[in-house]
Amino acid sequence: MSSPTNIVTRNLLVFWRGWRSSFFLSVLGPVMFLSAMGLGLGSLVQEGRTFDGADYLQFFATGILAASAMQSGVFSATYPIMGRIVWQKTYEALLATPLSVRDIFIGEMMSIAVSLSLLVVPFFGVMAAFGIFDSPRAVLAVPIVILMGLACAAPVFAYTATLESDEAYTWLWRLVVTPLFLLSGTFFPIEELPAWGRAFAHATPLFHGVELVRQVTLYDVEASAVWHIAYLVALLAVGVVIGIRKLDARLLP
Amino acid sequence: MSKTEPSSGPLISARGLSKTFESLVAVDGIDFDVQRGEVFGFLGPNGAGKTSTMRMIGCTSPRTGGSLQVMGMDPATESAEIKARLGVVPQTDNLDIELTVRENLEMYARYFDVPKDIAKQRVDELIDFVQLGDKAVGKVEPLSGGMKRRLTIARALVNQPDLLLLDEPTTGLDPQARHLVWDRLYRLKQRGVTLVVTTHYMDEAEQLCDRLVVMDKAKIVAEGSPRELISRYSTREVLELRLSDEVRERSRHFLDGLAERVEWLPDRVLLYAGSGETVLTKITDSGIHPDSALVRRATLEDVFLTLTGRSLVE
Repeated sequence: MSSPTNIVTRNLLVFWRGWRSSFFLSVLGPVMFLSAMGLGLGSLVQEGRTFDGADYLQFFATGILAASAMQSGVFSATYPIMGRIVWQKTYEALLATPLSVRDIFIGEMMSIAVSLSLLVVPFFGVMAAFGIFDSPRAVLAVPIVILMGLACAAPVFAYTATLESDEAYTWLWRLVVTPLFLLSGTFFPIEELPAWGRAFAHATPLFHGVELVRQVTLYDVEASAVWHIAYLVALLAVGVVIGIRKLDARLLP
Repeated sequence: MSKTEPSSGPLISARGLSKTFESLVAVDGIDFDVQRGEVFGFLGPNGAGKTSTMRMIGCTSPRTGGSLQVMGMDPATESAEIKARLGVVPQTDNLDIELTVRENLEMYARYFDVPKDIAKQRVDELIDFVQLGDKAVGKVEPLSGGMKRRLTIARALVNQPDLLLLDEPTTGLDPQARHLVWDRLYRLKQRGVTLVVTTHYMDEAEQLCDRLVVMDKAKIVAEGSPRELISRYSTREVLELRLSDEVRERSRHFLDGLAERVEWLPDRVLLYAGSGETVLTKITDSGIHPDSALVRRATLEDVFLTLTGRSLVE
Protein backbone atom coordinates (compact mmCIF):
# COMPACT_ATOMS: atom_id res chain seq x y z
CA MET A 1 0.00 0.00 0.00
CA SER A 2 1.06 3.55 -0.66
CA SER A 3 2.82 5.35 2.13
CA PRO A 4 3.08 8.90 3.52
CA THR A 5 6.72 9.11 2.43
CA ASN A 6 5.50 9.53 -1.15
CA ILE A 7 4.02 12.86 -0.08
CA VAL A 8 7.41 13.86 1.35
CA THR A 9 9.01 12.93 -1.97
CA ARG A 10 6.56 15.14 -3.83
CA ASN A 11 7.13 18.09 -1.49
CA LEU A 12 10.90 17.69 -1.66
CA LEU A 13 10.76 17.62 -5.45
CA VAL A 14 9.05 21.01 -5.42
CA PHE A 15 11.22 22.32 -2.59
CA TRP A 16 14.41 21.28 -4.37
CA ARG A 17 13.71 23.66 -7.26
CA GLY A 18 14.11 26.64 -4.97
CA TRP A 19 16.74 25.22 -2.65
CA ARG A 20 19.44 27.77 -3.51
CA SER A 21 17.38 30.77 -2.56
CA SER A 22 15.84 29.13 0.49
CA PHE A 23 19.22 27.90 1.72
CA PHE A 24 20.64 31.37 1.25
CA LEU A 25 17.75 32.82 3.26
CA SER A 26 18.11 30.26 6.05
CA VAL A 27 21.70 31.37 6.51
CA LEU A 28 21.19 35.08 5.90
CA GLY A 29 18.29 35.30 8.39
CA PRO A 30 20.24 34.11 11.43
CA VAL A 31 23.34 36.14 10.47
CA MET A 32 21.26 39.32 10.39
CA PHE A 33 19.40 38.50 13.57
CA LEU A 34 22.51 37.60 15.52
CA SER A 35 24.48 40.64 14.32
CA ALA A 36 21.76 43.24 14.64
CA MET A 37 19.89 42.03 17.68
CA GLY A 38 22.39 39.88 19.53
CA LEU A 39 25.42 42.07 19.11
CA GLY A 40 23.79 45.45 18.44
CA LEU A 41 20.97 45.30 20.97
CA GLY A 42 23.18 43.28 23.31
CA SER A 43 25.59 46.21 23.55
CA LEU A 44 22.82 48.15 25.31
CA VAL A 45 22.56 45.50 27.99
CA GLN A 46 24.05 46.72 31.23
CA GLU A 47 27.78 46.03 31.61
CA GLY A 48 28.38 42.87 33.62
CA ARG A 49 24.73 41.73 33.36
CA THR A 50 24.61 38.00 32.68
CA PHE A 51 21.74 35.62 32.12
CA ASP A 52 22.56 32.86 34.58
CA GLY A 53 26.13 33.07 33.38
CA ALA A 54 25.40 33.48 29.66
CA ASP A 55 25.89 36.73 27.77
CA TYR A 56 23.05 38.40 25.89
CA LEU A 57 24.10 37.10 22.47
CA GLN A 58 23.98 33.52 23.77
CA PHE A 59 20.69 34.12 25.55
CA PHE A 60 19.06 35.80 22.55
CA ALA A 61 20.43 33.40 19.92
CA THR A 62 19.05 30.33 21.64
CA GLY A 63 15.67 32.02 22.03
CA ILE A 64 15.47 33.15 18.43
CA LEU A 65 16.44 29.68 17.17
CA ALA A 66 13.38 28.22 18.88
CA ALA A 67 11.15 31.15 17.87
CA SER A 68 12.12 30.77 14.20
CA ALA A 69 11.23 27.09 14.31
CA MET A 70 7.85 27.97 15.81
CA GLN A 71 7.12 30.52 13.09
CA SER A 72 8.22 28.16 10.38
CA GLY A 73 6.16 25.27 11.80
CA VAL A 74 3.04 27.42 12.13
CA PHE A 75 3.46 28.95 8.68
CA SER A 76 3.88 25.53 7.04
CA ALA A 77 0.52 24.49 8.48
CA THR A 78 -1.35 27.56 7.20
CA TYR A 79 -1.24 28.85 3.59
CA PRO A 80 0.48 25.86 1.95
CA ILE A 81 -1.97 23.39 3.52
CA MET A 82 -4.97 25.60 2.81
CA GLY A 83 -3.83 25.78 -0.81
CA ARG A 84 -3.88 22.01 -1.06
CA ILE A 85 -7.28 21.68 0.63
CA VAL A 86 -9.18 24.64 -0.80
CA TRP A 87 -7.46 26.27 -3.77
CA GLN A 88 -5.71 23.52 -5.69
CA LYS A 89 -7.65 20.56 -4.28
CA THR A 90 -4.45 18.52 -4.22
CA TYR A 91 -5.74 16.28 -1.47
CA GLU A 92 -8.82 15.41 -3.48
CA ALA A 93 -6.45 14.04 -6.10
CA LEU A 94 -4.38 12.20 -3.48
CA LEU A 95 -7.49 10.56 -2.03
CA ALA A 96 -8.26 9.00 -5.41
CA THR A 97 -5.09 6.95 -4.89
CA PRO A 98 -4.64 4.32 -2.15
CA LEU A 99 -3.50 7.10 0.21
CA SER A 100 -5.78 7.76 3.18
CA VAL A 101 -6.47 10.98 5.06
CA ARG A 102 -4.17 9.72 7.80
CA ASP A 103 -1.38 9.13 5.26
CA ILE A 104 -1.82 12.67 3.96
CA PHE A 105 -1.67 14.22 7.43
CA ILE A 106 1.34 12.18 8.49
CA GLY A 107 3.07 12.79 5.15
CA GLU A 108 2.61 16.55 5.47
CA MET A 109 3.88 16.51 9.06
CA MET A 110 6.94 14.57 7.91
CA SER A 111 7.47 17.17 5.19
CA ILE A 112 7.24 19.93 7.79
CA ALA A 113 9.86 18.10 9.85
CA VAL A 114 12.15 18.04 6.82
CA SER A 115 11.66 21.73 6.07
CA LEU A 116 12.20 22.56 9.77
CA SER A 117 15.50 20.74 9.73
CA LEU A 118 16.52 22.62 6.58
CA LEU A 119 15.91 25.81 8.54
CA VAL A 120 17.30 24.75 11.90
CA VAL A 121 20.53 23.07 10.83
CA PRO A 122 21.95 26.12 8.96
CA PHE A 123 20.76 28.33 11.82
CA PHE A 124 22.60 26.12 14.27
CA GLY A 125 25.69 26.26 12.07
CA VAL A 126 25.63 30.08 12.05
CA MET A 127 25.28 30.09 15.83
CA ALA A 128 28.26 27.79 16.15
CA ALA A 129 30.21 30.14 13.87
CA PHE A 130 29.32 33.01 16.20
CA GLY A 131 30.91 30.97 18.99
CA ILE A 132 27.74 30.59 20.98
CA PHE A 133 28.20 27.00 22.15
CA ASP A 134 30.80 25.59 24.52
CA SER A 135 29.82 21.95 24.55
CA PRO A 136 29.00 19.38 21.81
CA ARG A 137 25.87 18.62 23.84
CA ALA A 138 24.44 21.76 22.22
CA VAL A 139 23.66 19.72 19.11
CA LEU A 140 20.64 18.34 21.01
CA ALA A 141 19.04 21.71 20.38
CA VAL A 142 18.39 20.63 16.78
CA PRO A 143 15.99 17.74 17.50
CA ILE A 144 14.42 19.76 20.33
CA VAL A 145 13.42 22.70 18.16
CA ILE A 146 12.21 20.38 15.39
CA LEU A 147 9.97 18.64 17.93
CA MET A 148 8.74 22.03 19.11
CA GLY A 149 8.12 23.24 15.55
CA LEU A 150 6.04 20.14 14.87
CA ALA A 151 4.14 20.57 18.14
CA CYS A 152 3.24 24.11 17.00
CA ALA A 153 2.35 22.95 13.47
CA ALA A 154 -0.02 20.09 14.35
CA PRO A 155 -2.78 22.09 16.11
CA VAL A 156 -2.57 24.79 13.43
CA PHE A 157 -2.94 22.10 10.75
CA ALA A 158 -6.07 20.90 12.59
CA TYR A 159 -7.37 24.48 12.60
CA THR A 160 -6.61 24.94 8.88
CA ALA A 161 -8.68 21.83 8.14
CA THR A 162 -11.75 23.66 9.49
CA LEU A 163 -11.25 26.93 7.57
CA GLU A 164 -12.90 28.05 4.33
CA SER A 165 -10.55 30.99 3.68
CA ASP A 166 -7.27 32.47 4.84
CA GLU A 167 -8.79 35.49 6.62
CA ALA A 168 -8.41 33.93 10.04
CA TYR A 169 -4.62 33.68 9.66
CA THR A 170 -4.17 37.42 10.16
CA TRP A 171 -5.69 36.96 13.62
CA LEU A 172 -3.78 33.78 14.29
CA TRP A 173 -0.60 35.69 13.63
CA ARG A 174 -1.52 38.78 15.64
CA LEU A 175 -3.20 37.10 18.57
CA VAL A 176 -1.18 33.91 18.91
CA VAL A 177 2.13 33.81 17.09
CA THR A 178 3.36 37.35 17.81
CA PRO A 179 2.54 37.30 21.57
CA LEU A 180 4.25 33.91 21.83
CA PHE A 181 7.22 35.26 19.94
CA LEU A 182 7.56 38.23 22.26
CA LEU A 183 6.58 36.81 25.63
CA SER A 184 7.99 33.27 25.80
CA GLY A 185 11.41 34.23 27.08
CA THR A 186 12.92 34.77 23.66
CA PHE A 187 14.23 38.32 24.13
CA PHE A 188 14.32 38.57 27.92
CA PRO A 189 13.88 36.19 30.89
CA ILE A 190 10.25 35.65 31.77
CA GLU A 191 11.09 36.51 35.39
CA GLU A 192 10.92 40.13 34.19
CA LEU A 193 7.21 39.65 33.43
CA PRO A 194 4.35 40.21 35.90
CA ALA A 195 2.74 37.06 37.37
CA TRP A 196 0.08 36.80 34.63
CA GLY A 197 2.76 37.09 31.99
CA ARG A 198 4.75 34.27 33.54
CA ALA A 199 1.64 32.12 33.69
CA PHE A 200 1.00 32.84 30.01
CA ALA A 201 4.58 31.96 29.10
CA HIS A 202 4.38 28.64 30.92
CA ALA A 203 1.34 27.69 28.83
CA THR A 204 3.11 28.24 25.49
CA PRO A 205 5.05 25.62 23.56
CA LEU A 206 7.70 28.17 22.66
CA PHE A 207 8.59 28.74 26.32
CA HIS A 208 9.15 25.00 26.82
CA GLY A 209 11.21 24.81 23.64
CA VAL A 210 13.33 27.82 24.64
CA GLU A 211 13.93 26.42 28.14
CA LEU A 212 15.02 23.06 26.75
CA VAL A 213 17.33 24.64 24.20
CA ARG A 214 19.00 26.78 26.85
CA GLN A 215 19.39 23.84 29.20
CA VAL A 216 21.24 21.76 26.61
CA THR A 217 23.28 24.62 25.12
CA LEU A 218 24.04 27.11 27.91
CA TYR A 219 23.14 25.70 31.31
CA ASP A 220 22.80 22.35 33.04
CA VAL A 221 20.08 19.91 32.11
CA GLU A 222 17.59 19.87 34.97
CA ALA A 223 14.75 17.58 36.02
CA SER A 224 12.31 20.11 34.56
CA ALA A 225 13.50 19.00 31.10
CA VAL A 226 11.26 15.96 31.40
CA TRP A 227 8.24 18.16 31.93
CA HIS A 228 9.17 20.41 29.00
CA ILE A 229 9.55 17.43 26.68
CA ALA A 230 6.33 15.86 27.96
CA TYR A 231 4.47 19.10 27.22
CA LEU A 232 5.76 19.25 23.62
CA VAL A 233 5.11 15.56 22.94
CA ALA A 234 1.60 15.83 24.36
CA LEU A 235 0.81 18.92 22.27
CA LEU A 236 2.09 17.17 19.15
CA ALA A 237 0.08 14.02 19.91
CA VAL A 238 -3.15 15.91 20.59
CA GLY A 239 -2.61 18.04 17.48
CA VAL A 240 -2.10 14.98 15.28
CA VAL A 241 -5.14 13.10 16.64
CA ILE A 242 -7.47 16.09 16.31
CA GLY A 243 -5.87 17.12 13.03
CA ILE A 244 -6.54 13.75 11.38
CA ARG A 245 -10.11 13.83 12.63
CA LYS A 246 -10.74 17.36 11.32
CA LEU A 247 -9.08 16.64 7.98
CA ASP A 248 -11.14 13.47 7.64
CA ALA A 249 -14.36 15.40 8.24
CA ARG A 250 -13.24 17.99 5.72
CA LEU A 251 -12.06 15.75 2.90
CA LEU A 252 -14.49 12.84 3.20
CA PRO A 253 -17.88 14.50 3.68
CA MET B 1 -3.67 -7.94 -0.39
CA SER B 2 -6.71 -7.17 -2.46
CA LYS B 3 -9.32 -9.81 -2.86
CA THR B 4 -10.48 -10.85 -6.27
CA GLU B 5 -14.19 -10.72 -6.82
CA PRO B 6 -15.98 -13.53 -8.64
CA SER B 7 -15.32 -12.91 -12.32
CA SER B 8 -19.01 -13.09 -13.14
CA GLY B 9 -21.40 -10.77 -11.32
CA PRO B 10 -21.54 -6.99 -11.53
CA LEU B 11 -18.47 -4.80 -10.98
CA ILE B 12 -20.50 -2.34 -8.94
CA SER B 13 -23.67 -3.21 -7.09
CA ALA B 14 -25.78 -0.78 -5.06
CA ARG B 15 -28.94 -1.52 -3.10
CA GLY B 16 -30.90 1.15 -1.30
CA LEU B 17 -27.80 3.36 -1.49
CA SER B 18 -28.32 6.72 0.14
CA LYS B 19 -26.42 9.82 1.17
CA THR B 20 -27.67 12.55 3.46
CA PHE B 21 -25.95 15.81 4.34
CA GLU B 22 -27.55 17.19 7.50
CA SER B 23 -31.01 18.12 6.16
CA LEU B 24 -30.29 17.50 2.46
CA VAL B 25 -30.99 14.11 0.90
CA ALA B 26 -28.47 13.88 -1.95
CA VAL B 27 -29.07 10.25 -2.89
CA ASP B 28 -32.29 8.58 -1.84
CA GLY B 29 -32.12 4.79 -1.80
CA ILE B 30 -31.01 3.94 -5.34
CA ASP B 31 -30.40 0.45 -6.81
CA PHE B 32 -28.12 -0.20 -9.79
CA ASP B 33 -25.60 -2.68 -11.14
CA VAL B 34 -22.68 -1.90 -13.44
CA GLN B 35 -21.50 -4.85 -15.51
CA ARG B 36 -17.89 -5.58 -16.35
CA GLY B 37 -16.76 -3.95 -19.61
CA GLU B 38 -19.71 -1.67 -20.16
CA VAL B 39 -19.97 2.10 -20.27
CA PHE B 40 -22.53 3.06 -17.68
CA GLY B 41 -23.96 6.56 -17.43
CA PHE B 42 -25.57 8.65 -14.74
CA LEU B 43 -27.70 11.25 -16.45
CA GLY B 44 -29.50 14.03 -14.67
CA PRO B 45 -29.81 17.73 -13.99
CA ASN B 46 -27.50 19.53 -11.57
CA GLY B 47 -28.13 18.48 -8.00
CA ALA B 48 -29.74 15.17 -8.96
CA GLY B 49 -27.20 13.18 -6.92
CA LYS B 50 -24.83 12.02 -9.66
CA THR B 51 -21.64 13.34 -8.14
CA SER B 52 -22.55 12.14 -4.65
CA THR B 53 -23.06 8.67 -6.07
CA MET B 54 -19.72 8.81 -7.87
CA ARG B 55 -17.96 9.90 -4.70
CA MET B 56 -19.43 7.00 -2.76
CA ILE B 57 -18.19 4.59 -5.43
CA GLY B 58 -14.78 6.29 -5.37
CA CYS B 59 -14.48 5.85 -1.59
CA THR B 60 -14.30 9.60 -0.93
CA SER B 61 -17.68 9.97 0.70
CA PRO B 62 -19.01 7.45 3.23
CA ARG B 63 -22.53 6.27 2.45
CA THR B 64 -25.34 7.05 4.87
CA GLY B 65 -27.41 3.94 4.18
CA GLY B 66 -27.91 0.88 2.00
CA SER B 67 -25.26 -1.41 0.61
CA LEU B 68 -22.51 -0.80 -1.94
CA GLN B 69 -20.05 -3.28 -3.41
CA VAL B 70 -17.26 -2.13 -5.73
CA MET B 71 -15.31 -4.97 -7.35
CA GLY B 72 -16.69 -7.21 -4.63
CA MET B 73 -15.42 -5.00 -1.83
CA ASP B 74 -16.99 -2.57 0.59
CA PRO B 75 -15.84 1.07 0.30
CA ALA B 76 -16.39 1.54 4.03
CA THR B 77 -13.76 -1.00 5.02
CA GLU B 78 -11.58 -1.70 1.97
CA SER B 79 -11.11 1.72 0.42
CA ALA B 80 -7.36 1.42 -0.22
CA GLU B 81 -7.82 -1.93 -2.00
CA ILE B 82 -10.65 -0.54 -4.13
CA LYS B 83 -8.83 2.68 -4.94
CA ALA B 84 -5.75 0.74 -6.05
CA ARG B 85 -7.81 -0.58 -8.99
CA LEU B 86 -9.81 2.56 -9.70
CA GLY B 87 -9.18 5.58 -11.91
CA VAL B 88 -10.96 8.84 -11.13
CA VAL B 89 -11.49 11.84 -13.41
CA PRO B 90 -13.11 14.47 -11.17
CA GLN B 91 -15.49 17.19 -12.30
CA THR B 92 -12.91 19.96 -11.86
CA ASP B 93 -9.29 19.26 -12.70
CA ASN B 94 -7.11 18.95 -9.61
CA LEU B 95 -3.73 18.60 -11.25
CA ASP B 96 -0.61 19.43 -9.27
CA ILE B 97 0.25 22.89 -10.58
CA GLU B 98 3.67 22.88 -8.94
CA LEU B 99 4.75 19.93 -11.09
CA THR B 100 5.26 19.51 -14.81
CA VAL B 101 2.94 17.47 -17.03
CA ARG B 102 5.26 14.49 -16.88
CA GLU B 103 5.86 14.80 -13.13
CA ASN B 104 2.12 14.84 -12.53
CA LEU B 105 1.93 11.37 -14.01
CA GLU B 106 5.15 10.11 -12.40
CA MET B 107 4.17 11.26 -8.91
CA TYR B 108 0.73 9.77 -9.30
CA ALA B 109 2.27 6.46 -10.33
CA ARG B 110 4.33 6.64 -7.16
CA TYR B 111 1.21 7.10 -5.02
CA PHE B 112 -0.03 3.88 -6.58
CA ASP B 113 3.29 2.17 -5.84
CA VAL B 114 3.95 1.43 -9.48
CA PRO B 115 7.61 0.31 -9.68
CA LYS B 116 9.81 3.03 -11.14
CA ASP B 117 10.90 1.39 -14.41
CA ILE B 118 7.35 0.27 -15.20
CA ALA B 119 6.04 3.73 -14.30
CA LYS B 120 8.45 5.42 -16.70
CA GLN B 121 7.36 3.29 -19.62
CA ARG B 122 3.68 3.65 -18.74
CA VAL B 123 3.98 7.44 -18.43
CA ASP B 124 5.54 7.56 -21.91
CA GLU B 125 2.65 5.54 -23.31
CA LEU B 126 0.03 7.66 -21.57
CA ILE B 127 1.53 10.96 -22.73
CA ASP B 128 1.35 9.52 -26.21
CA PHE B 129 -2.18 8.21 -25.71
CA VAL B 130 -3.53 11.65 -24.75
CA GLN B 131 -1.34 13.46 -27.32
CA LEU B 132 0.59 15.67 -24.93
CA GLY B 133 4.06 14.71 -26.15
CA ASP B 134 5.17 18.27 -26.93
CA LYS B 135 3.87 19.57 -23.60
CA ALA B 136 5.37 16.92 -21.33
CA VAL B 137 8.23 18.96 -19.87
CA GLY B 138 6.17 22.11 -19.30
CA LYS B 139 4.08 23.18 -16.35
CA VAL B 140 0.37 22.41 -16.13
CA GLU B 141 -1.00 25.94 -15.78
CA PRO B 142 -0.55 27.13 -19.40
CA LEU B 143 -2.39 24.11 -20.83
CA SER B 144 -5.81 24.62 -22.42
CA GLY B 145 -8.92 23.18 -20.81
CA GLY B 146 -8.95 20.26 -23.21
CA MET B 147 -5.29 19.44 -22.59
CA LYS B 148 -5.76 19.57 -18.81
CA ARG B 149 -8.70 17.23 -19.19
CA ARG B 150 -6.64 14.79 -21.23
CA LEU B 151 -3.85 14.96 -18.68
CA THR B 152 -6.34 14.25 -15.91
CA ILE B 153 -7.56 11.24 -17.87
CA ALA B 154 -3.99 10.04 -18.39
CA ARG B 155 -3.34 10.46 -14.69
CA ALA B 156 -6.37 8.33 -13.89
CA LEU B 157 -4.84 5.54 -15.98
CA VAL B 158 -1.38 5.25 -14.40
CA ASN B 159 -2.48 2.32 -12.24
CA GLN B 160 -4.14 0.56 -15.21
CA PRO B 161 -7.52 0.61 -13.49
CA ASP B 162 -10.25 -1.96 -14.05
CA LEU B 163 -12.82 0.73 -13.47
CA LEU B 164 -12.70 4.37 -14.55
CA LEU B 165 -15.02 6.96 -12.97
CA LEU B 166 -15.54 10.12 -15.01
CA ASP B 167 -17.55 12.99 -13.58
CA GLU B 168 -18.69 15.21 -16.45
CA PRO B 169 -15.61 14.45 -18.55
CA THR B 170 -16.24 17.00 -21.31
CA THR B 171 -17.99 19.86 -19.55
CA GLY B 172 -16.50 23.14 -20.70
CA LEU B 173 -14.56 21.71 -23.66
CA ASP B 174 -14.83 22.86 -27.25
CA PRO B 175 -16.19 20.38 -29.85
CA GLN B 176 -12.76 19.27 -31.09
CA ALA B 177 -11.56 18.59 -27.58
CA ARG B 178 -14.78 16.72 -26.73
CA HIS B 179 -14.46 14.44 -29.72
CA LEU B 180 -10.85 13.66 -28.86
CA VAL B 181 -11.86 12.76 -25.29
CA TRP B 182 -14.73 10.59 -26.53
CA ASP B 183 -12.40 8.83 -28.92
CA ARG B 184 -9.94 8.04 -26.13
CA LEU B 185 -12.70 6.81 -23.84
CA TYR B 186 -14.00 4.59 -26.61
CA ARG B 187 -10.54 3.05 -27.03
CA LEU B 188 -10.40 2.33 -23.31
CA LYS B 189 -13.74 0.58 -23.54
CA GLN B 190 -12.39 -1.55 -26.36
CA ARG B 191 -9.51 -2.56 -24.10
CA GLY B 192 -12.05 -3.85 -21.59
CA VAL B 193 -11.98 -1.01 -19.06
CA THR B 194 -15.35 -0.46 -17.40
CA LEU B 195 -16.37 3.20 -17.53
CA VAL B 196 -18.85 4.99 -15.31
CA VAL B 197 -19.71 8.45 -16.60
CA THR B 198 -21.90 11.25 -15.33
CA THR B 199 -23.08 13.84 -17.77
CA HIS B 200 -25.84 16.25 -18.55
CA TYR B 201 -24.97 16.24 -22.22
CA MET B 202 -27.39 14.01 -24.06
CA ASP B 203 -25.19 13.61 -27.11
CA GLU B 204 -22.38 12.46 -24.84
CA ALA B 205 -24.61 9.88 -23.20
CA GLU B 206 -25.81 8.62 -26.59
CA GLN B 207 -22.28 8.49 -27.95
CA LEU B 208 -20.69 6.72 -25.04
CA CYS B 209 -23.12 4.80 -22.88
CA ASP B 210 -24.18 1.22 -23.33
CA ARG B 211 -26.59 1.63 -20.49
CA LEU B 212 -27.62 4.50 -18.32
CA VAL B 213 -29.84 5.61 -15.50
CA VAL B 214 -31.61 8.94 -15.37
CA MET B 215 -31.48 10.55 -11.93
CA ASP B 216 -33.77 13.28 -10.73
CA LYS B 217 -34.19 14.65 -7.21
CA ALA B 218 -31.89 12.02 -5.64
CA LYS B 219 -33.69 9.06 -7.22
CA ILE B 220 -33.32 6.91 -10.32
CA VAL B 221 -36.30 7.58 -12.57
CA ALA B 222 -35.41 5.43 -15.59
CA GLU B 223 -32.90 2.82 -16.68
CA GLY B 224 -31.89 1.24 -19.98
CA SER B 225 -29.81 1.65 -23.14
CA PRO B 226 -30.17 4.98 -24.97
CA ARG B 227 -32.27 3.25 -27.67
CA GLU B 228 -34.51 1.54 -25.12
CA LEU B 229 -35.08 4.74 -23.23
CA ILE B 230 -35.98 6.62 -26.40
CA SER B 231 -38.43 3.98 -27.52
CA ARG B 232 -39.93 3.70 -24.04
CA TYR B 233 -40.27 7.38 -23.23
CA SER B 234 -40.49 8.98 -26.65
CA THR B 235 -41.62 8.28 -30.20
CA ARG B 236 -39.26 7.51 -33.04
CA GLU B 237 -39.46 11.01 -34.48
CA VAL B 238 -40.28 14.53 -33.43
CA LEU B 239 -41.80 17.22 -35.61
CA GLU B 240 -40.88 20.73 -34.52
CA LEU B 241 -43.11 23.55 -35.75
CA ARG B 242 -42.86 27.28 -35.45
CA LEU B 243 -46.22 28.98 -35.89
CA SER B 244 -47.37 32.57 -35.98
CA ASP B 245 -49.54 33.53 -33.00
CA GLU B 246 -52.66 33.63 -35.08
CA VAL B 247 -52.09 30.16 -36.60
CA ARG B 248 -51.09 28.83 -33.21
CA GLU B 249 -54.45 29.76 -31.66
CA ARG B 250 -56.52 28.58 -34.58
CA SER B 251 -54.86 25.16 -34.97
CA ARG B 252 -54.34 24.23 -31.34
CA HIS B 253 -57.19 21.75 -31.08
CA PHE B 254 -56.43 20.17 -34.43
CA LEU B 255 -52.73 19.65 -33.71
CA ASP B 256 -53.39 18.15 -30.28
CA GLY B 257 -55.18 15.28 -31.94
CA LEU B 258 -52.50 14.57 -34.54
CA ALA B 259 -49.66 12.98 -32.59
CA GLU B 260 -49.09 10.64 -29.67
CA ARG B 261 -47.99 13.59 -27.57
CA VAL B 262 -47.89 17.29 -28.30
CA GLU B 263 -45.85 19.74 -26.29
CA TRP B 264 -46.56 23.49 -26.53
CA LEU B 265 -43.46 25.48 -25.80
CA PRO B 266 -43.40 29.29 -25.89
CA ASP B 267 -41.51 29.35 -29.20
CA ARG B 268 -42.23 25.95 -30.73
CA VAL B 269 -44.70 23.07 -30.87
CA LEU B 270 -43.27 19.56 -30.59
CA LEU B 271 -45.27 16.68 -32.04
CA TYR B 272 -44.02 13.23 -31.03
CA ALA B 273 -44.87 10.70 -33.72
CA GLY B 274 -43.65 7.50 -35.38
CA SER B 275 -43.32 9.37 -38.66
CA GLY B 276 -42.90 13.13 -38.60
CA GLU B 277 -43.34 13.43 -42.36
CA THR B 278 -46.79 11.83 -42.25
CA VAL B 279 -47.94 14.26 -39.57
CA LEU B 280 -46.48 17.21 -41.46
CA THR B 281 -48.32 16.19 -44.63
CA LYS B 282 -51.60 16.04 -42.71
CA ILE B 283 -50.96 19.52 -41.34
CA THR B 284 -50.16 21.15 -44.66
CA ASP B 285 -53.06 19.29 -46.33
CA SER B 286 -55.43 20.88 -43.83
CA GLY B 287 -54.27 24.33 -44.90
CA ILE B 288 -52.07 25.17 -41.89
CA HIS B 289 -48.79 26.72 -42.97
CA PRO B 290 -46.12 26.76 -40.25
CA ASP B 291 -43.36 29.39 -40.37
CA SER B 292 -40.92 26.50 -40.24
CA ALA B 293 -41.09 22.75 -39.82
CA LEU B 294 -38.36 20.26 -38.90
CA VAL B 295 -38.58 16.49 -38.68
CA ARG B 296 -35.85 14.89 -36.57
CA ARG B 297 -35.14 11.67 -34.83
CA ALA B 298 -36.08 11.59 -31.16
CA THR B 299 -33.03 11.90 -28.91
CA LEU B 300 -32.18 11.25 -25.30
CA GLU B 301 -32.74 14.92 -24.72
CA ASP B 302 -36.45 14.39 -25.39
CA VAL B 303 -36.44 11.52 -22.90
CA PHE B 304 -34.54 13.57 -20.39
CA LEU B 305 -36.87 16.54 -20.59
CA THR B 306 -39.91 14.28 -20.45
CA LEU B 307 -38.61 12.61 -17.29
CA THR B 308 -37.07 15.53 -15.44
CA GLY B 309 -39.25 18.39 -16.65
CA ARG B 310 -38.45 21.61 -18.43
CA SER B 311 -38.30 23.93 -15.49
CA LEU B 312 -34.88 25.28 -14.63
CA VAL B 313 -33.03 23.48 -11.87
CA GLU B 314 -31.10 25.88 -9.66
